[in-house]
Amino acid sequence: MAKTLFEKIWDSHVVEEGNGRSLLYIDRHLVHEVTSPQAFDGLRMNKRNIRRTDLTFATMDHNVPTSDRSLPILDQTSEVQIKTLERNCKEFGVKLFDINSPDQGIVHVIGPELGITLPGTTIVCGDSHTSTHGAFGAFAFGIGTSDVEHVLATQCIWMEKPRTFEIRVEGKRKNIHAITAKDIILSIIRKIGTAGGTGTTFEYRGETISELSMEQRMTICNMSIEGGARAGLIAPDEKTFDYLRGRRYVPKNYEKLVEYWRENLKTDSNARFDKSFTLHVDTIAPQVSWGTNPAMTVDVTGKVPFPEEYAKGNTEEEKAATKALQYMGLKSGTLITDIEIDRVFIGSCTNSRLEDLTEAARAVKGKKVSSKVRAMIVPGSQHVKKQAEELGLDGIFKDAGFEWRESGCSMCLGMNPDILSAGERCASTSNRNFEGRQGSGGRTHLVSPVMAAVAAIQGHFVDVRDLDLN
Amino acid sequence: MKGSVIKYEKDNIDTDVILPGPYLKIHDYDELAKHAMEGIDKDFHKKVKPGDFLVAGKNFGCGSSREHAPIALSYSGVKAVLALSFARIFYRNAVDGAFLLPIEIEESTYKDISEGDQLEIETSENKIRNITKNTIYEIKPFPELIGKIIAAGGLFNYKS
Repeated sequence: MAKTLFEKIWDSHVVEEGNGRSLLYIDRHLVHEVTSPQAFDGLRMNKRNIRRTDLTFATMDHNVPTSDRSLPILDQTSEVQIKTLERNCKEFGVKLFDINSPDQGIVHVIGPELGITLPGTTIVCGDSHTSTHGAFGAFAFGIGTSDVEHVLATQCIWMEKPRTFEIRVEGKRKNIHAITAKDIILSIIRKIGTAGGTGTTFEYRGETISELSMEQRMTICNMSIEGGARAGLIAPDEKTFDYLRGRRYVPKNYEKLVEYWRENLKTDSNARFDKSFTLHVDTIAPQVSWGTNPAMTVDVTGKVPFPEEYAKGNTEEEKAATKALQYMGLKSGTLITDIEIDRVFIGSCTNSRLEDLTEAARAVKGKKVSSKVRAMIVPGSQHVKKQAEELGLDGIFKDAGFEWRESGCSMCLGMNPDILSAGERCASTSNRNFEGRQGSGGRTHLVSPVMAAVAAIQGHFVDVRDLDLN
Repeated sequence: MKGSVIKYEKDNIDTDVILPGPYLKIHDYDELAKHAMEGIDKDFHKKVKPGDFLVAGKNFGCGSSREHAPIALSYSGVKAVLALSFARIFYRNAVDGAFLLPIEIEESTYKDISEGDQLEIETSENKIRNITKNTIYEIKPFPELIGKIIAAGGLFNYKS
């Protein structure tokens, strides 16, 4: 029977089935400091070991400070959580990339970077953006702490098989520096809605997806959860194999695996998806979110919508839009390019990789951050930071007045001191514009790295297609 | 089980508002409970009573995978969330830890239930009785395995 890529990965990982559910084998388990402490406590309490320490990797990213790492951590509760992960990893024998490790970084940045992420595998982590790893043709999804404990103890998870959802992305972008992967995924979520993918796994395919780099594909897969999907994946190709070749944790028989992957890890030509959606990128504009969920997004050339126009007759949507505008402190009809910002955050598991920083730096070189704006760059990992410094990107950013910080999740979720004050408005390359996400009362506009960088300089949103970015 | 309703007529209530990020560092569940729903309702911990039910719109619990969200609700006393639909990770977390019952309700049920209504949930009969309004609503039975995990008191008590 013809199968989709997802169905092939699923079928090859089923241990047993029953009650309409499958017990699925997990190939890689990524662990971080925030969603793991209770899981380790549970193991300890029940005198259980970790089933496969060799498939379990940990780092600390969510609450680590992004300021000088030689200084003590001021927030004591953060320090306790960081020390707890250290202690747990030591006790249970888990490989940890700790706060001082040259490999430390956001878990979804370092997985691929170190070659832990592999095509055709199942990957879990106690973090919803685990979908990022789908860019390599893996079935990767976020889980909660009870499931973290279950996977630590058994290397398996009970799951209902998600349905398949094909997301075709077709056409050619006119300006690849101005229309980015972030604009593509925001356009998709804007069309299908935040619950459009509930109960499904996306497979992104089509001409445009093939042309994207691995880092751009990661940005797309990262936000699958924002479209409500369990996961999102992309069939691996030569770009995938080239990206991983030679990385530290790829298996020794790598070339043999590549042969197998090349042959098997694709959707059969006559396979059927349960749902399908197509986005044509030829005419899309840079995207800016105006509301409090990622589907509340418009073109940079657009205006802050009127709730009734946005809701198209749906009273619940209209109420939600009215509340969102109130929270965001925005007036309907305002041009997006007239929205002035106070803060800029370039970072997060969505947009903190080398290419994101390179694209942002291209727009920043020789310019200055607006005197009204505080802007920060938070590289996704220590490796990204080092590579960027080797390219001199840190100099470009620092000369312009950006803060150049240490790696971590930072202002994406406001767990460390990098937060917005109430009422502050931020152009952010992160993934969620939920109320209070970046700090209580903070206002988030989701954009691409280049859009955020230019907003930092101009003090308001700008259509980056009008700039010379080559 | 019986309880009264706290209703949020809102879709997409995300886990960042159910339990905001800064509190993810708290390990004490009773302490977490003090911050439940703080992102949209600062007075929630004052008004919630043991045994209460939350009623909400579509896609409840979307966003972050933090299990702290159902834990904070559970330790506030919330026994069930009745929503038009749930985001999947929240749903799993609620069931796996047996923190609360995630119950999907029909649009008509959602509209009919008001803040403060007294409800009695009878999962064995797939029914919710609205004592205040003297009405009965049908609910879909839990999928087989979910029902078994809930009956066992969570994933770790469940034996297949």
